[in-house]
Amino acid sequence: MKTKLKKYMPGYLFILPSFLILLVFSVIPIFMTAFFSFTEYNILQAPQMIGLKNYLRMLKDPFVQASLKNTFIYTLVTVPIQTVLALLLAAVIATKFRNKFGNFVKSGMFVPSIASAIMIGTVWNLLLATDGGAINQFLDILNIEPVNWLGQIHTSLISICIVAIWKNTGYFLVIFYAGIMDIPSTLYEAAHVDGADIFQQFYNITLPSLKPITYLVVTLGIIWSFQTFDLVYTMTGGGPGKSTITLVLNIYKSAFKEYNMGYASAQAVLLFLVVMFFTAIQKLCFKEER
Amino acid sequence: MRQVKNTHKLSTIILGIVIFALAVSMLIPFIYMLLLSFTQSKSLIFSMKDISPDLINYTRVFRNTDFFNALKNSLIISISSCFFNCLFSSMAAYALEKKRFPGRKLIFNIYLATLMVPGQVTLIPVFTIMKHLGLLNSYPPLIFIIVNAFGVFLIKQFMAGVPDELLEAAKIDGCGEFRIFFHIVIPLIKPVLVSLTVFTFITSWNDFIWPLVIVTDNSMQTLTLALSVLKGQFTTNYGMVMAGSTMTFLVPFILYVFLQKQFVEGIALSGVKG
Repeated sequence: MKTKLKKYMPGYLFILPSFLILLVFSVIPIFMTAFFSFTEYNILQAPQMIGLKNYLRMLKDPFVQASLKNTFIYTLVTVPIQTVLALLLAAVIATKFRNKFGNFVKSGMFVPSIASAIMIGTVWNLLLATDGGAINQFLDILNIEPVNWLGQIHTSLISICIVAIWKNTGYFLVIFYAGIMDIPSTLYEAAHVDGADIFQQFYNITLPSLKPITYLVVTLGIIWSFQTFDLVYTMTGGGPGKSTITLVLNIYKSAFKEYNMGYASAQAVLLFLVVMFFTAIQKLCFKEER
Repeated sequence: MRQVKNTHKLSTIILGIVIFALAVSMLIPFIYMLLLSFTQSKSLIFSMKDISPDLINYTRVFRNTDFFNALKNSLIISISSCFFNCLFSSMAAYALEKKRFPGRKLIFNIYLATLMVPGQVTLIPVFTIMKHLGLLNSYPPLIFIIVNAFGVFLIKQFMAGVPDELLEAAKIDGCGEFRIFFHIVIPLIKPVLVSLTVFTFITSWNDFIWPLVIVTDNSMQTLTLALSVLKGQFTTNYGMVMAGSTMTFLVPFILYVFLQKQFVEGIALSGVKG
């Protein structure tokens, strides 16, 4: 018995610190979120069980409905554009500019990915400002009236989408580029010998080979959409009206502005289910493709 | 034939100009931020002659806000996260990949399951746990929040390439467990540790929602939090807000310039494998 324990001890010791942190910051909190979601809890008093009330309230909450609708639009706008743009740019750089110039372009486009969403939101707030913002200044040259990008219900969400696309494209470009570099060059050489032009090569070799990476980029894009918080928090705070409210912004407001921890937890469970659904899809597709 | 070659060349040049223009236009917001941080203009319409090469806005940010403290906090938190994430995650990856013990499969599955849980889902319980432990407004939650299953899986894949024979041989030579780990395993997994460090640093440095929830005391603010406050307080003092933005961006940018390859590889690797 003792020798057995001694034999296994190092394994347990090596995993202990990481596992303890995982327990405290992930495993236990997941169960707590599930538990809180069935309670009324304001931090000061102990949680009170109220059954499914939070969930029923959620179904009727106009803010939750608005956040789901906004996320839906946000996903439909950002994911296709950033995916296609990143893929095309990666393909162009990989086929035509495998040199210093291509590297420079790739590095430049990656810069937005290393900046915090808070910094980016702060700068874009000024770029999109109605009076004298650079975007409106530019439109002025073209004789277009200044637009109150972030202050109007029908332009605020689209403006945020544009900023998100600008921030994400470089990141996905790098992922696609790495994927293209992994495709054996013999495939292209053979196609070249057979007389396939660049477009045929892209369509018949590059695209099919990148299928698993495309799944990854798309599902990652969807998951990020549902997790959007920082950018919206700095740029609009969810407004005007409910036009840019997101799930996480709702969770934050319910929990830390209204101290309605139980209700916020129910929304967190909703977020969890949505994200898990898309992660599962991605894992399944990824596995199949391998 | 010559004609074909020429149009081919021309299309390459045009494509080159297009993607170059795109790359530059993606950098414009950063250039704009830098230029505006050197102006005293109260309007957003500024001309090149408004720009003065002094650091007035920067000194103002330090004098009027807690930015210096925030810079210190962000450095402490990000560097510690890198250290602990690399150390603890490689220890765990080593145990999961190279050690056999009862419960290993179960623990592995728990790690796998937590990968699917977005951080915001655990926001409220982590807050209440930290409140009960008296750890709100302290470094540990902001450092350890980043030590998660992601790093473990990233390293575990790399760890598979460490030959078992080497570890066996070291054991036969009388090497202790910890010596094997620190003198043989760690040097062999260095490349993936560099990737993880870069990834961890950027994630931790740019993190906003955790400091927002964990920190209520001004002296414990991180840079992202301080910038958000600065923006709210000095809304129309554009130069000052842009000076603050530039400062939060400076450290990641300098790192990026010097460690470009590791950055891009680290991000691509983490994206694909994670």
